[in-house]
Amino acid sequence: MTEMPATEMPATRFPKEIAPWDVIELTIPVRTDLVVLARLTAATLASRVGFDVEEIEDLRLAVEELCLSLVRNGDDGRLRLRYTREGDDGIAIACTFEAAPGRGLRELPVDDLSIRILDALVDEHGRSSEGGHKRAWLRKRRSRTVA
Amino acid sequence: MEQAFDISEREGTAAPVVSVSGEIDVATAPSLRNRLQARVAGGDTTVVVDLAHVSFLDSTALGVLVGALKRCREAGGDLRLVITEPRILKVFEITGLTEVFSIHPTVDEALEAPPR
Repeated sequence: MTEMPATEMPATRFPKEIAPWDVIELTIPVRTDLVVLARLTAATLASRVGFDVEEIEDLRLAVEELCLSLVRNGDDGRLRLRYTREGDDGIAIACTFEAAPGRGLRELPVDDLSIRILDALVDEHGRSSEGGHKRAWLRKRRSRTVA
Repeated sequence: MEQAFDISEREGTAAPVVSVSGEIDVATAPSLRNRLQARVAGGDTTVVVDLAHVSFLDSTALGVLVGALKRCREAGGDLRLVITEPRILKVFEITGLTEVFSIHPTVDEALEAPPR
């Protein structure tokens, strides 16, 4: 197990102004059978941005690992995911764990396997604590050029 | 449409074959863990896990397989994997687990593989 360094999500490198429909928010209770919703949303949005099949599969797995990096069995609360389209070829996903009232946040080491997967599949990723909530984020850009 | 998660087991071969289909994630991995633990507890030291029909696999699933591999090897056996989907093999490659597991393209080859 390795402690992932706390890093703030850098400001977007895409100068294009983000239109309102380019931000999607999803909030799910922390339940193992609902993490699939985070994957499905990521896949749908990646497809809209023009990611190819392999890139969509990469993002599906990456967002799963993002969620898993914040919660463990027994955690109670909500995962709030914010999907942001960045320019014409990128997606940023920020995931925040909000513990249920009265339940403290546990600082957990992130599984080595999760880190290796995120390192390999996305352009950037990191973790931070914000307002008493744990937060993890990633950024992935499409690799191919659309004619 | 995604294939539903399912586990089936076959005996009567050189080693039991546990076949998994669908997505192995944080919700379904515990079922696989229970089945593999039961196999080793029941005296099977070498087990073949057929992942040919798995469409998604996360770090939780990898953890389950690594744990089962450890138990099999401690008992003097092995855990052999059958992987045919490139995107599933990719997860093992990027995590370095292709160096850890005995990975084969077919169940027959996994069953006939020499001990590691």
